[in-house]
Amino acid sequence: MADVEVAKSLSGLLSGIAQMVYYNKSEITEELLKNELYPEMPQEEFKVLFEKMKGLIKSIATADMDHAQLEAFLTAQTKRHGGSGLSAEQATALSRFWKSQRVRVRESLLAQHRWEPTLRGLSWRVDLQTGDRYGNADHRGPVALMELELGRAGQDSEFLCLEVDETKVDQVLKKMADIQESIDRIVHRT
Amino acid sequence: MSSSNVKDSSFLGGRIPPEIESMSKNLKDVDQELFRKLLKVVVSALEGKDCREVMKSVAESSVIPQERLSHIIAGMHRVLSEAIRIPASLLKQEAFKEDLRELRIPEDFITDFSSVVFGNRRATLEAASSQNDPHLPTLEEFKWRVDVSISTSSLARALQPSVLMQLKLSDGSFQRFEVPVSKFQELRYNVALILKEMNDLEKRSILKIQD
Repeated sequence: MADVEVAKSLSGLLSGIAQMVYYNKSEITEELLKNELYPEMPQEEFKVLFEKMKGLIKSIATADMDHAQLEAFLTAQTKRHGGSGLSAEQATALSRFWKSQRVRVRESLLAQHRWEPTLRGLSWRVDLQTGDRYGNADHRGPVALMELELGRAGQDSEFLCLEVDETKVDQVLKKMADIQESIDRIVHRT
Repeated sequence: MSSSNVKDSSFLGGRIPPEIESMSKNLKDVDQELFRKLLKVVVSALEGKDCREVMKSVAESSVIPQERLSHIIAGMHRVLSEAIRIPASLLKQEAFKEDLRELRIPEDFITDFSSVVFGNRRATLEAASSQNDPHLPTLEEFKWRVDVSISTSSLARALQPSVLMQLKLSDGSFQRFEVPVSKFQELRYNVALILKEMNDLEKRSILKIQD
């Protein structure tokens, strides 16, 4: 295989592994990657390559390596002797892969550790009641109807609908300012 | 009955509700003390309070048979709820009294009815009646916590803040969910927008049509 081809297959393999392990794409399988990217490679040899790359990505992802850490890590790997060592092409491919996928992989790993349902979206509308069974509603203020879209990772969304009057909206907004302040305190410190 | 055609229609509508007619028949020889006791119970019932016990003791101490009492109470309930239904600006006190006079309700009782409908209880009664409108659950309590994950089984240094929110709703349910920081900004923005919409709505003259 020409160098370009080697690099292409390798980067295909890395992104395939990311799809499988981090982005929950169940349609990507080890077998599919073998057939599409390395049709001529013996099964045993592919297996070794696949596991090696998967292990390396896992180490890089767990440590959430920045550029300097990654370079040091890859250099150490290329210096290892025997079959477990990393070739220069493989190191380049890993470096390129991580550069483009770091944020997304990290996000996916964080999401795996949210066990409560997560807020996915919000829609709302403001209504004004103009009448009811008792005929008289003009003394009542506007009311906000909110629909919160909630869901656990990998599951369908559930919708929570509620009604909030102006006083409550105001209170919630004040609490949200407190939350923001609390987040800012942490983020500035780290 | 040509005179009733000239006058504005009764606040009770074209046909007098049967409860009210039978109340008026059963009010004979009811003294004002009993009437006021009953009226008080009916008003608290309309305000959404549980008044079964009070009602029981009033009924036990009264010389009027229970069956007649129940006709009276049903009628009072109807008179008051029909009157509260009509916006205060559209129901004139004199017209209300006149309508009750036509039903041959004693004048003293009319004054008592009128003081409920046009007195300072009205706001409470209106508010209570609105509780029965169809509603989505409302927000009763909003608690929050900001967490930072330090480390997880797949991420050595997570250090990621996230907000945990817990809502208590009026239907008694608790909803707990996590809000990633980016979503939190979106949520906050939207809540601010809602408040602005509500404020704007109150300023707009479209709401002052009724006057």
